[in-house]
Amino acid sequence: MDKQVFNIKNLDLYYGKFQALKNINLTIEKNKVTALIGPSGCGKSTFIRVLNRMNDLIEECRIVGDVHFHQDDIYHEKFDVIDLRTRVGMVFQKPNPFPMSIYDNVAYGPRCQGIKDKAELDEIVDKALKSAALYEEVNERMKESAMDLSGGQQQRLCIARAIAMNPEVILMDEPTSALDPIATLKIEELINDLKEQYTIVIVTHSMQQAARISDTTAFFLMGELIETDNTDKIFTQPKMKETEDYITGRFG
Amino acid sequence: MNTNTRKKKRVDQIVRSIFLASTLLSASFIIIIVIFIVMKGITPFITDNDGLGVVNIWTFLTGTVWLQGTAFQSNLYAVGFIIVNTLYIAFLSLLLSLPVGVLTALFIAKIAPKRLAEFLRTIVELLASIPSIVYGLFGSGIILTFVYNLAELFGVQSKGGNSVLATVLVLALMTLPTITAVSEVAIRSVRKDIEEGSLALGATRTQTNFKVVLASAKSGIFAAAILGIGRSLGEATAVSLVAGNAKSGPNLGLFDITTTLTSTMLQGLKETTGVDYDIRFSVGIVLMIVILLTNFILNAVKKRVGNVNVK
Amino acid sequence: MSMSNKRKAIDIAYQAITYLASSVSLLALSMIVYFVWSNGSGLLNMDLLTKDYHAKYYNGEMVEVGDYSTTLRPSDLDDDIYYSEQYGIGLSDAKDREGNPIILVEYIASDSPMLKLADRNSEDIIALEEGMLISKVAFFDKATALRTFGAEYMVNELDSATDFREIVFTSLGGGIRGSIITTLYLIGMTMAMALPIGVFTAIYLNEFAKKNRITSTLRTLIDTLTGVPSIIYGLMGLAVFVPLTISVTPATSGNLISGSLTLAVILLPVIIKSTEESLKVVPDGLRQASLALGANETQTTFKVVLPSSIPGILTASLLGIGRVIGESAALIFAIGTAVKDDISIFGKSTSLAVHIWSMMTDEPANIELSSTIAIIILMIVLVLNITVKLLSKKFMKPMQ
Repeated sequence: MDKQVFNIKNLDLYYGKFQALKNINLTIEKNKVTALIGPSGCGKSTFIRVLNRMNDLIEECRIVGDVHFHQDDIYHEKFDVIDLRTRVGMVFQKPNPFPMSIYDNVAYGPRCQGIKDKAELDEIVDKALKSAALYEEVNERMKESAMDLSGGQQQRLCIARAIAMNPEVILMDEPTSALDPIATLKIEELINDLKEQYTIVIVTHSMQQAARISDTTAFFLMGELIETDNTDKIFTQPKMKETEDYITGRFG
Repeated sequence: MNTNTRKKKRVDQIVRSIFLASTLLSASFIIIIVIFIVMKGITPFITDNDGLGVVNIWTFLTGTVWLQGTAFQSNLYAVGFIIVNTLYIAFLSLLLSLPVGVLTALFIAKIAPKRLAEFLRTIVELLASIPSIVYGLFGSGIILTFVYNLAELFGVQSKGGNSVLATVLVLALMTLPTITAVSEVAIRSVRKDIEEGSLALGATRTQTNFKVVLASAKSGIFAAAILGIGRSLGEATAVSLVAGNAKSGPNLGLFDITTTLTSTMLQGLKETTGVDYDIRFSVGIVLMIVILLTNFILNAVKKRVGNVNVK
Repeated sequence: MSMSNKRKAIDIAYQAITYLASSVSLLALSMIVYFVWSNGSGLLNMDLLTKDYHAKYYNGEMVEVGDYSTTLRPSDLDDDIYYSEQYGIGLSDAKDREGNPIILVEYIASDSPMLKLADRNSEDIIALEEGMLISKVAFFDKATALRTFGAEYMVNELDSATDFREIVFTSLGGGIRGSIITTLYLIGMTMAMALPIGVFTAIYLNEFAKKNRITSTLRTLIDTLTGVPSIIYGLMGLAVFVPLTISVTPATSGNLISGSLTLAVILLPVIIKSTEESLKVVPDGLRQASLALGANETQTTFKVVLPSSIPGILTASLLGIGRVIGESAALIFAIGTAVKDDISIFGKSTSLAVHIWSMMTDEPANIELSSTIAIIILMIVLVLNITVKLLSKKFMKPMQ
């Protein structure tokens, strides 16, 4: 059984002349929650976007090194990005529902894959909304605009939208940074439920959140991966001085 | 020192009142326009028009013949069919210019390579800066011939190409740059993370553009359509050169000659007086009301469409 | 795999549609340019700009019989030109726009008696010029040589007669000097009225007005002007400015002043908006610094605020000039459609745009000259547009 989902070796990333990531080596394991922490501008958000190649959208961005998703080199020129993104979902910092109905938001991904059958779509949408713990709240108003939902509901809808693709991995880029504490708590509970089925990589600026929900934690600083270990270990006995300084709040 | 300060203050006051007077003058013109056009425009309905008798306002608004009888000997004017024509033509031209304009805007904003986009943007700007009389000239030189030949192909003898279709084509061409430019701004201001959300779901660039970007820009696109309709309704000289000046209607066949509120106002202007002259102001009032109502209704629709799901 | 192939095909189809849609604009512009150029470039020359539009008729007779030309036929004269040795003129056959035969004066010798003819309608001396048309030459003792008989006949008849009773000739006309002068008058007078009022309004709204209901009402009233179609402005010009100018000036009908007043109202919202936008960019610190140095409001406005907004005012002026040149519907009502050669600001005449409309509504429409004028209008508009673009590139960036 293949336990490694992503395997990153000697990764360098440049924005034009600026090097944003320096020699990153990291393995992401199946059905675990991996948290990426570090001060802002440390490259953690840039790194998470390497995994579904969202950095392709930035013109000046250049990548050197190996990023393997299972056996495939995802930066190989023949690799199908679209296929990668259907298998690796993503949830963004700010909730970004499409200006469509709730139903259409969740059905969007499957429809893009060419699924047209109404019954099949209904089933996918219901299942995804249930998995995202949103079904009870929106069941009666599937045809209403997603823009009318609250911020927390919108973010859970975005999670449902990602789940509807039945991905192996869900990337989350500070998914609770725009939400209030109660909505944040709901999302954290949801993440705990989801790790049974999905591999989750989450960027967070909150160390408490990392401690609460993750199995593994990776600490980034100035574009370098300083340390990665079991979350318990990182927070109790970090190996590196920088990690300890950050966790104890001495900087950042 | 003291007198100097006092002098300065007086100058301030004088300058200030000049500025205020300019502002009041600028703001008063819209009121002057409305008052004077209404005053002149209601004359045919409240005077006996030099013995011809009062123009009946109901017949005027609903009739299907512009003038029954001879000019200067009849008071039987009517614009009912012309209102229908005007709206019909404006919406038909939008039917052409809106999809073409929005797709062009999408192309410029999202699909075309930078250089090509810049080039096309310049083309659209140039089209927008061409005065309407030149569009009219182009219409009567090229579009009339085209429509005439097209009509022949269908076995219809059109009046030199002067027709609903020719008018629609000229107006579509004239509104295209406006619609394109406004839509492009709307498309470019779509939040980037919404696009990313779609791409992250494995949608292709094209799927993202057509399903998410356009849906997100729909309010701006609707505004472009409202602007386009407004321009179509008010356009005068270009339309007068290709409409064909129908005397009765409504004219719904594509190859039929037609007339709009504006072209009616311009018709036979060179040699006319009395009620035949004043009635143009009445048509002007009708035009203003038609534009106002259309704007009002479309804006109401826009508010409702704003949040309804689009597939 | 077939799924992704199908998706690719659909994507390409959708993209192709956008390419197709975009080509419409390109096609439209090229067709318009091609159309006006192919129809109008033939008439485009300096003469056009300086000549009268209306043909003028002259009736001339010899001042002194026997004062003939001694110039021999010049060798470089084309074969289809018939040369009268006695009178020193070369004539050719041509056709006018309706296809009627005409006789064109191609050449006049420097010692030709036709250069100093007595005007039968006045005491003046008139001259036949190259490019004019001869309608007929009447003689004392034989039949008149009409233009329908051709140039060769006319030359032979002239050379075989010692004198003639009358020569009727016309200037060709078709020039646009009058419309150019009108357009320039309109630009000048309109800007002179609209610029100060517009700029003062913008200054008041941006610098002095308090943020309250009255100010926002004033703003709404001004903004509403933007949506009014130009034909409605024309009606206002006709109802307000024409009677006004008739009562206070020598004018007796629509005139250039009433036209300029109407255009000024059309330009107001454009100028106000553009000026206000450039005023907004002026940092508040500048104003406060000026006031802190003891300058009063007026000095601050004219010495600090206004200079910073000059690019905006310049842009507004260029856009305004473009609008004046292109405007037709409003002027048709506010001035009239009579093409004139002698221009007075108290009388009727046409701008270049209305000149086109006037010719296009005539029977038969003069598409050639209309296209020539359209070329001129398009060139001016193009230059204005480029200038505005350069201006905004040059000035808008360093402002902060």
